[in-house]
Amino acid sequence: MTTKKIRTGFLMIFKMLLRQKIVITLLLIIPAFFLTVVELTTSNRILPFQLASLGDEFFINISEKGISFIFFAVASSGFLVSFLALNLIQRNNKVNRRLIICGYHPIELIISILLVLFVVILLIAVYVGLLTNAFYNVDNLGRFILSLILIGFVYGSYGLAVGSLIKVELEGILMIVLLVNIDVGWLQNPLFYAEAQNQVLIKYLPAYFPSQTAIITAFTDYSAVSATVNSILYGFLFLIISMLIFFYKMRTK
Amino acid sequence: MILTLEHIAMSFGRKEVLTDISFQLKAGSITGIVGENGSGKSVLMEIIVGARKAKNGTIYKNCSVGYCPQAAVLFPQLTIQEHFTYFSEAYGINKDLAKPQYQALLNHFNYKKYLNEKIIHLSGGTQQKLNLSIALLHKPELLILDEPYNGFDWDTYQRFWDYTNELREQGCAILIVTHLLSEKKRFDRIYELENGKLI
Repeated sequence: MTTKKIRTGFLMIFKMLLRQKIVITLLLIIPAFFLTVVELTTSNRILPFQLASLGDEFFINISEKGISFIFFAVASSGFLVSFLALNLIQRNNKVNRRLIICGYHPIELIISILLVLFVVILLIAVYVGLLTNAFYNVDNLGRFILSLILIGFVYGSYGLAVGSLIKVELEGILMIVLLVNIDVGWLQNPLFYAEAQNQVLIKYLPAYFPSQTAIITAFTDYSAVSATVNSILYGFLFLIISMLIFFYKMRTK
Repeated sequence: MILTLEHIAMSFGRKEVLTDISFQLKAGSITGIVGENGSGKSVLMEIIVGARKAKNGTIYKNCSVGYCPQAAVLFPQLTIQEHFTYFSEAYGINKDLAKPQYQALLNHFNYKKYLNEKIIHLSGGTQQKLNLSIALLHKPELLILDEPYNGFDWDTYQRFWDYTNELREQGCAILIVTHLLSEKKRFDRIYELENGKLI
């Protein structure tokens, strides 16, 4: 394994990503669109919320608009990173295979992809964080951006796992849209979660801990260490699965 | 011998594609493989280069291999220059050594003017030139070419054979999947793949 190969791989993959102008445009437009819809449709009535990951006694009062901004920021970050991760690992599958036949090690290639994904997660988290803060004054912006990095990590790793497992682009996108929509877009919504009949099930879904981290950091000074650690563990689980599948499929025989 | 295949077999589910393939390639030779569509020619090439695992059999090769797949397998968003950089890195060739080699290939196959064009903007023939050039970039001792002249005009086709003959004289063993039996005299040996066996 050589760092020179990883560096070249990183530069080439990053160039390819930046040259997809429609993707870049959507990256900029989707979060702005989501947050504008929130601004136009939600009210300022105050609602009490339980911070599930901190325990039964932790309640906070937040406006419907505020919680919706945070929730949609998390949802758009998760969806975008997951979609891009799928794109990074699935799109050039055959050429990547050729590179491996020619001498790249699968590990060198996956590290190059992971480095690009890491930069993408950072850029999206910072962009969505600053954009959300422009609409709604987040209490602790730095920690909130960190929570968006966490959702990016969890859902980026999920996108990699789906992209490694599934060959066809459309099926991969469907898998991502389904989980992001059901998990981040529906079940983790505090308005739904508060009244859900079976909250235990929701706690095991990938977006639970990053969503909790986002809400805790956006509205309180409480510690989000437990939710952060659990998010990282969840992300690593998906990451290990995706790396194993990628290595198994791409290795030379 | 540069390459030896012994009793290679391959199947997809219940369908046996290759049953008992054995042959050898010696240095400085051009060998052809012909066969109907779906006879398993491309699968055999993929097994030789390590892209697929054979169900049975053994392959002995102890040399550098260049592989040109049937369809142009390239990055649509990268330029020709960037492909040479990326694949030189894969082969482990120093930048200073790679440049004269790819310049020579660009000149020989006459597509130097497209060096900074993205693949997505190139014609099928030019993409195929690059597809082939990538296989030749590291001056391999064994060259596996799966219908390498798809989409070539007559002039490029002639240039392809000129280049291939030069490589043969330098000691390279070349295995070509082809449909053009009219070109029989260009090969040292031609095998036909039929019912999973070489004839």
